[in-house]
Amino acid sequence: MNHHEENRPARGPADCADVVLRLFEFVDNEAGPVDQARIREHLDECGSCLAEYERDLLLKALVRRACACEPAPAALRTQILTRITTTSVTVVRDRRDR
Amino acid sequence: MLITTHAPGERTGASALVADVGLGWTSMDTHQPTIEELEAQALAEADATVDVENETDQERVARFEREAMPLLDQMYSAALRTTRNPTDAEDLVQETYAKAFAAFHQYRPGTNLKAWMYRILTNTYINTYRKKQRQPLESDAAEVEDYQLARAASHSSKGLRSAETEALDHLPDSDVTKALASIGEDFRLAVYLADVEGFSYKEIAEIMDTPIGTVMSRLHRGRKQLRELLTDYAVERGVISSPEEARR
Repeated sequence: MNHHEENRPARGPADCADVVLRLFEFVDNEAGPVDQARIREHLDECGSCLAEYERDLLLKALVRRACACEPAPAALRTQILTRITTTSVTVVRDRRDR
Repeated sequence: MLITTHAPGERTGASALVADVGLGWTSMDTHQPTIEELEAQALAEADATVDVENETDQERVARFEREAMPLLDQMYSAALRTTRNPTDAEDLVQETYAKAFAAFHQYRPGTNLKAWMYRILTNTYINTYRKKQRQPLESDAAEVEDYQLARAASHSSKGLRSAETEALDHLPDSDVTKALASIGEDFRLAVYLADVEGFSYKEIAEIMDTPIGTVMSRLHRGRKQLRELLTDYAVERGVISSPEEARR
């Protein structure tokens, strides 16, 4: 499986740097298709970059898990609805007065 | 289908967000939309053809209730993370909804309402609740690159899950929210929007009214700080013995 090496710069620190530089974009699903393929390929063969990737992925998952949706207080919902309805009624009345 | 045309002179608000993002909040692979989200989405699609010009006030109230109220829990949760206390969170959400309703005729039906609401929430927060103290200067691209290069240089030569990753996975959620509450608010918001809501960089840029490069810089710095804090907590909890060990 050496065929791709001819088309790419030699593996090593520079390659890792290149991948790590774009790792967040990869993790956030923001890397372009070419970058995505290159990064995926590199992760397949580089354990340390894979570890870095897993850590980023975990951090993202941790934040998501920890910030699970919390129900808004019922009173808040009522207040908002009351305010909206009142605002609307006021507008209607204003128009009628004119 | 979503309407993606932009009226001339319209603010570059959430109406511009939908152009490239399809259904908006599904940009992150791992994010499964909740039932509420799917319902809100279906309702929004049903309302996408509404004639805003000739809508009665009652119709507008009803449409706002149908579309915006299902987002309340999410907006409240975000406000809670942003303001870091329930009283401020309630005030922020109240104000956000009042403003959103007042401006609802400007919202383009069928576009990404959640992003539009988030933009109002963010603006309201920045204008009303932002602390007086100035944020540290935004990092430029070079600084982000330095960090990433350092990360590449220092990373271990072998090993799948590192000791640090293993340790972080065992931290309680309260440590994560504590760490999130400790980082700069722009970083916190960017990380929240990306990781919890799954917004794309482009959407976050629109919501926070900054260039995409700044969003990326905020995400980089926010995550770097989060990771450092969480590593410290892991050391305090004795899950790992030292940051040096963690970084091996």
